[in-house]
This record gives sequence, C-alpha cells and structure tokens, in this order.
Amino acid sequence: MNNKLKILVNTVMILIGISFLFPLYWMLNISFKSKSEVYDNPFGLPKQWVFNNYRDALEKFSFLRYLSNSIIYSVGTIVLTVFLGSMLAYCISRMNWKFKGLALSYISMGLIIPVQVVIIPLLIMTRNFGLRGSRMSLILPYSAFALSSCVLMLYAFFRSLPKELEEAACIDGCNVYQSYFRIVLPVIKPAISTQCVLIFMNTYNEFFLAFILGAEDKIRPLTVGLLNFFVSIGVSHWGQIGAAMIITSLPTILVYAIGNEQIENALTARVALK
Amino acid sequence: MGKAHIGMLTDKVINMNKFYSSKLAVFLFAFPALLLFTVFVIYPIFPEILISFQKNDGFRNMGYVGFKNYADVLQDKTFWRSNLNTVIIVFLSTFVGLPISLLFALVMDRQSEAMRRFFKFSSVLPAVLSVTVISQMWIAIYEPMWGLLNSILRALNLNNLALAWLSDSRTVVPSIAVAFLWQYLGLNALLFYTGIKAIPKTYYEAAMIDGAGFFRASLKITIPLLQDVTKYLLVLSILGCMSQFAHVRIMTGGGPGDISRTVVYQLYYVAFSTSDFGRGCAIAIIFVIECLLLTFVINKFVAQERIEF
Repeated sequence: MNNKLKILVNTVMILIGISFLFPLYWMLNISFKSKSEVYDNPFGLPKQWVFNNYRDALEKFSFLRYLSNSIIYSVGTIVLTVFLGSMLAYCISRMNWKFKGLALSYISMGLIIPVQVVIIPLLIMTRNFGLRGSRMSLILPYSAFALSSCVLMLYAFFRSLPKELEEAACIDGCNVYQSYFRIVLPVIKPAISTQCVLIFMNTYNEFFLAFILGAEDKIRPLTVGLLNFFVSIGVSHWGQIGAAMIITSLPTILVYAIGNEQIENALTARVALK
Repeated sequence: MGKAHIGMLTDKVINMNKFYSSKLAVFLFAFPALLLFTVFVIYPIFPEILISFQKNDGFRNMGYVGFKNYADVLQDKTFWRSNLNTVIIVFLSTFVGLPISLLFALVMDRQSEAMRRFFKFSSVLPAVLSVTVISQMWIAIYEPMWGLLNSILRALNLNNLALAWLSDSRTVVPSIAVAFLWQYLGLNALLFYTGIKAIPKTYYEAAMIDGAGFFRASLKITIPLLQDVTKYLLVLSILGCMSQFAHVRIMTGGGPGDISRTVVYQLYYVAFSTSDFGRGCAIAIIFVIECLLLTFVINKFVAQERIEF
C-alpha cells in the first residue's frame, strides 16, 4: 500500500473509532449546560458549568425504580435461561432418548422466529394468565426467546467434554443429578459466564417487549422509562436529558469498563467457537 | 490387558448406560426448558393464525371474516410503504454497513497493539449503550437548526444540503438507517476481526513471498476465508434490521405522518393504536413468512461449505 493512501485510510479509521466514543462526550457535555446554552453552543465545551441538571433529572425521573426493574429482568432471565437451558443442552448431548435430535431442531426454531412476530398473542396470553403488570410477564418470554442460542452454544460445549468426567463421578457413587450439578456444571463455567454476559446485554437493552408489555410505570425498565422521561419533559431541556442519559448509562459503562475484555470475548464467542 | 480389567470396563459401560437412560432424569432435565419454549415461542403462533382470520379488537372475537384481514393489509399503501422502508434499512445496513465493518476489521488487523486495544474498546461501546440513548443522540445530530450534521454542512458552505433530516420525507428513512447501522458498525467489525485472527498466519506468509500487498492479500486470502463469519453476520444483520422498531419509535414515531414506519412498527400501530388485532396478526403472519423466506435464501446461496483450518 502506498504511503499517502495508508495515511488517508488510517485517518478515516481513527475518525470512525473516535465517533464511537462521541456519545459519551456528547452526553457528558450537554448534561452540564443550561437550557439555553444547548441551543447556542450544542457541541462545544460548556461556557458555564451547570450542575443542577442532575438534581432536577433525578427528581423527575425515577431512576432507582427503573434501574432495579432492569436488573431484576436481566438477572431473572439469566438465572432461568441458564438453569433450564444448560440442563436441556446436557440432556440432548449426553442422555439416551429417542427424540433428542428432534428436540435440538425444535429448540433451534427459536433462532428464526423474531419475538416481534408473536407480540399480539403474547399480550393476550399475559392477560389471560393474570401476569399483566407483573415482572414475570417479561422474564418468562425473555427467557423463552433466549433459550435457543443458550442451548445450542452449551450443547456444542458439552459435546467437547470427555465422558470420563461423569464416569469418575459414577464410580464414586454419584447419581446423575449430583454428577451434573457438582461435577459437570463447574467445568463449563467459562461457557456459562459467556452466556450470562450475552443474555445480560440483550435483556438490559431490550426495548420492544418492554415497551409493549411493560404498560405500567412500576414495572418499566430503564430503556422505556428513559423514553417516557424524554417525552414528559419535551425535547426542550436537553441539559436534563443529558443528565438522565448519563445516570442511565453509568451502570453499563462501569460494567463495560471493568469487564470489557470478557464482554468482547463473549460477544465474539459464536464466531470464535464455530 | 488382563481379563479382570476388561470386566471392569464393561461394568463401567453398563453403569454409564443406566446413568444416562433413566427416564425420570431425561424428563426432569429436558421438560422444563421445552415447556417454557413451547408456551412462549411456538404456541403463540397458533392463536395468531386464528386471530388473523377474525375481526378482533383485542378483547373479543367478533366473528370470522375469512381472508378479509389479509386482503385489507395487502391493499393498504402504508403496509407496502413500511415494507419498502424495511428493505431500505436492511439494504443500507447490510450492503453499506457490513463492508465498512469489514474494511475496519482489515485495517484494525494492521494496527499496533495499543491502537487495536483502543479500537476494540471504543467499537463495542455504541452497541452496549441503550437504543434510547443512541437514538436520542441522533435526534440531536439531525436537528435542523443547531444539529451537528447541519452545523458541519453550514461550516463547509453547503447550506442547501442542510436539510430537516428527520422531518423530510426523502431523507427520514435513510437517516434512521444510518443511526442504526452506526450503532452496530463497531460490533460487526469486531466480529469480522475475530474471524480474521483465526486465519493461520502461514496463509499470509505464502502470499508475502509472492509479493502480494494489503489489498491483494485481503481480496484473495482474508475475505474468501471469512465466509463463515460473513454468513453469520449477514443472517444476524438482515434479521435484526427486518424487525427494526426501537430506533423508528424513538426518533420519528413513524412520522412525518406514516412515512417512516417499518413493518413491525406498522404491526404495532395497527394492533395497538387502532385496536385491530385481526389485521395486526395478519401483518405478523406475512412478516414471519418474509423472514423465513429470507433465511432460506441466505442459507441457499451464501457459503455452502464449512471452512476448517
């Protein structure tokens, strides 16, 4: 590659790389500006630093309630999906039963059915089951839709495990349940933590189901709560919008800053695993 | 090997078979997950098909109307407009977004370790932040008076290009598509990069001896060997764009008017704003058929054989 072209390509790439960090800069920036300064000076550094936006935003925006909902949804979905999904994956890869091939194809169907397709019957079902307005009305469909990729990935993982592992447990007199929970599960910890990261990312940022099924304010997660906050204050006060965005993103940014390497590995696991 | 030893081995095999064949264990391990999956993923399709033949306001079935809902949907201009919008978003994300991601990954492979760490860290950030935050940021970027895009265009003396991006019917859908494709640009690049890293270095050494530069090596070696990753990203990107809803909902609410609705937005609007669940279900059934066809086409035409290194 000749030198000028190389410099050009690198400059463009660095600009794109910086653009990925732009949201952070922008949110922080407007969150310290007064209502009028956002319009006069939208992207430069604040001329006058205003700290009230955070206090005002926190007063109008029930951040803690939405945050705790988001965490309940993410953790609930992770626990349910990983617990049930890993058992099914183990059962398909190891145990002897007639329909295990069928079960694997059946569960794979979840990969091509977008959740958006079944939203209308889901809404009617949550109403009929008496789940409307309860947090389970989101955790159950989240888990059901997360099962497919969880089972397929853990299935690939179980198949690569040597059977000697359980043979040893069997000789030591463990039954199949003990051997699974005490011997096998600890060995697949890396795959399970990858699954936890993936499910967390998907659930924490999920919008569609939460928007439609989370009709009551008390069960709304952050993604939808934040949108409602924007709508309720109008688009007029960007300073408060910025503050609310920073507060909302802080947990994600902290988690990402600490665990970015694990998160990257988890996100790319499906490509790396093949 | 002594006789005793062989005896022990067979014992073990028999034991293991018993271990794995207990009907109760199979039931306890497999049933709960299959039940959950069936109830919330597979079963809903049946009432959905049923409702699509009814006049239904969400609470009651007011009689079967045959294919009337489907006929209504297919004659509705807004529905076709929403299909066109979805196609535009799919097209831009897939045929503009993915090549940029690939180029980004190829260049990333050539950077110093420090630079690569920076890219890896920054590229996933937009995908980690919530859609609400990212969409709100793009609202500010597209803002006609003081938005970043128009400020830059005015500074470059391109005043006539400074449009009202999100309220102009010509630009609104591509503008949403750009916001959407940008959010996942870095993540897709990282996925391509992971694929590139998995290619053994010996392939390149051979090419170096032949005197191939960056472009020839990329075209002749890297890109063909990335087939698997490319196929995976194609499916992911196309299905992801097909069901696009959040960015549209937040950035324009389907507007101006009904110009920027996607298929899923149209489904949502018909079912929940006009309370016509029958027609909403008809849209959902048509949509799932579209998704299945697309998945089938991709599987049929892209990357038939697996590549093993």
